[in-house]
Amino acid sequence: MALQGSEELGEQVEEPEDLDDQDASSISPAEEITLPPGPGGDEESEEALLLPWDRFSAWLHCICVVGFDLELGQAVEVIYPHHSKLSEKEKTSICYLSFPDSNSGCLGDTQFCFRFRQGSNRKSSLGCFLETADRDAPPCLKREQGHYYGYVYFRQVRDKSLKRGYFQKSLVLISKLPYVTFFHSLLKIMAPEYFEKQEPCLEAACNDIDRWPTPHPGRILTLPIMGVVLKIRIPTCYDKPGTSQLVHSAQSDSLVSIVLPTIHEVDLFRCFYPVFFHIQMLWELVLLGEALVVMAPSPAESSDTVLALVSCISPLRYGSDFRPYFTIHDSEFKEYTTRTQAPPSVILGVTNPFFAKTLQHWPHIIRIGDMKQAGEMAKQMKVKKLKNLKTLDSKPGVYTAYKPYLNKDEDIIKQLQKGVQQKRPSAAQNAILRRYFLELTQSFIIPLERYVASLMPLQKTISPWKSPPQLRPFIQQDFMRTLEKAGPQLTSRLKGDWIGLYRHFLKSPNFDGWFRNRRREMTQKLEALHLEALCEEDLQQRIQKHTEVEAVDLVLKLKDKLTQAEREQLPLRPGTITKLRSHIDAVILALPEDLQGILHKPPTP
Amino acid sequence: MSLRELKVCLLGDTGVGKSSIVWRFVEDSFDPNINPTIGASFMTKTVQYQNELHKFLIWDTAGQERFRALAPMYYRGSAAAIIVYDITKEDSFQTLKNWVKELRQHGPPNIVVAIAGNKCDLTDAREVPEKDAKDYADSIHAIFVETSAKNAININEVFIEISKRIPVVEATGASSGKGFKLGRQASESRRTCC
Repeated sequence: MALQGSEELGEQVEEPEDLDDQDASSISPAEEITLPPGPGGDEESEEALLLPWDRFSAWLHCICVVGFDLELGQAVEVIYPHHSKLSEKEKTSICYLSFPDSNSGCLGDTQFCFRFRQGSNRKSSLGCFLETADRDAPPCLKREQGHYYGYVYFRQVRDKSLKRGYFQKSLVLISKLPYVTFFHSLLKIMAPEYFEKQEPCLEAACNDIDRWPTPHPGRILTLPIMGVVLKIRIPTCYDKPGTSQLVHSAQSDSLVSIVLPTIHEVDLFRCFYPVFFHIQMLWELVLLGEALVVMAPSPAESSDTVLALVSCISPLRYGSDFRPYFTIHDSEFKEYTTRTQAPPSVILGVTNPFFAKTLQHWPHIIRIGDMKQAGEMAKQMKVKKLKNLKTLDSKPGVYTAYKPYLNKDEDIIKQLQKGVQQKRPSAAQNAILRRYFLELTQSFIIPLERYVASLMPLQKTISPWKSPPQLRPFIQQDFMRTLEKAGPQLTSRLKGDWIGLYRHFLKSPNFDGWFRNRRREMTQKLEALHLEALCEEDLQQRIQKHTEVEAVDLVLKLKDKLTQAEREQLPLRPGTITKLRSHIDAVILALPEDLQGILHKPPTP
Repeated sequence: MSLRELKVCLLGDTGVGKSSIVWRFVEDSFDPNINPTIGASFMTKTVQYQNELHKFLIWDTAGQERFRALAPMYYRGSAAAIIVYDITKEDSFQTLKNWVKELRQHGPPNIVVAIAGNKCDLTDAREVPEKDAKDYADSIHAIFVETSAKNAININEVFIEISKRIPVVEATGASSGKGFKLGRQASESRRTCC
């Protein structure tokens, strides 16, 4: 069903108008297309309540301009909108992370991204609204909780009129949304104009963004920005993974409108090209949440590779911290590089040669050479021993003592190699690789999904007059036993120590995050079923047999349920809430008047 | 029926009523106390023209001087430009002439130009004679109308005229915006002007 939905949407990009409308000239200018309404669909009225800058905040925290001051070094020159809040610590992070770390000779324009810890807990007034929008997003596209992304467009050009001899500046978008491809495309439009036309340009851009529809998964969003219209669709968790959502229309002038086929997918093939022979091992390392560092010649290459790593286990969400570009100035530098404890479960992308020494003790190191010197790939067959890694001058490759659990899949390597020989387009190579990872991850995760689904209590154990039944606990042995008959062998022809891989995975932060999310969903489902069962009961009749105290108790409990259902947005059948409300009212009305007055009062917060 | 996206930009001095024209066209409403535009505002409206649907992607630019340099972003790729002046302000007509010059030098080669003399309801305060403006428009082969966003006069007509001058797409599916060249126009459209 999800697939069908997406196909329909794909077509609607080209002809979004309702052609049945007799008076075509009266078609409204707003043309967001909604999915079949999900639960709680009052978004339009909610959007009407948004205040100035709310829409902007739904997309971006702020926009920064980072420049180089001869006396101060890197400095945030402008923060837009001016009222945006950033702590000093956050500003410092942004300053260092927005410029290439070492003199990596990034002459011209470079784009990369970084991620940093949110300094203080800043509660958005939009919180509730954004949660609703986030609910339908796939796990790996949900809004970040404790981190920000920084999307950078860095320009370095010779300029003799400047003391330093160079113009160096970054335009940085700070956001909690992991839409890496989208923000890069956005910057590609914004930054060159900004560098030429300065502040009025930022003002215009922010003003455009503040009139965008909020980032709602499943709709086709029309986003006008600086004379161009971007069209995107944020995937939903109901989409069939691996299906492309938007199609290019035949007539498209990039000065008029641009359709982005994806908002978050990076080119896996291009990013993994230098370490192509080890992709399957890298997939295992990421899946298991192993400490990984990518040493690359530039922030663009380091951030691309880290993003590719994190996304290769999609639709699983990578649960640990990852830093597409990490510098020695980062506030977590000490925490992550200490030798007093085992390396943390993080993926770091670095460019500073200093890290070759600092992170020498790390178990897995990926060295990326200059991606422009391609064609070297075929030589790097062997995994390199860690002791061979001394400096950043070391040869590109993967340095690790790790022994993969699964046997190597020669077919995918051959298939991709053949593609290289036949000069198959990079997009096609990327699609092959993406599908390969998707199938691998799905083969791995399906047995877990199946087992966890079996932990759900039977429907008949749900009684309206008892608390909802508990999920049965996850027992590793039980799960392992299911693998014999319903293991990954059903969907993958790869042989190897799958059991060992699962055992290791169950201890990883990725499992933890995945299971917690599943458990929450299932508990909510149980709550919902319970509430629905309760609504089917004849409460008034039941009350007649009970005392006043018990009736009051029931009202209070039902009110609690109602609040919970609304707060957690339980996946209820439509109409349940209304039914519950009328039940509550009916029970209250059956009580003496003095009690009625008290119970009707809205609960004090 | 096929749908074509046509980028249209509005240019002109501050306060001449660019946003009001767009509001009247898209929402059919008028607000005398509209705020000055920042950068540009964007609206769309789709109209049927013969066998096609023309979806106007309208970029209503700010007239204020500090946004002047941003204009190329909006006329770049435009199929048409509506240059607006205020019939009660001679200065705004001079500004219009500068916009025509800029479009000629830097705008898309085939852009359709429409000149709108707005606030034609304020005849008592008129400073720009209709004939002068019309002669000028004819000399550059531009569409010319006097409009009133307030009284909804000639607003839809501007866009209809633009639709008429947008050439039919060839079977090859060439991109939109193949209009008539400024200064070199087919004789047929000249007839419609006179």
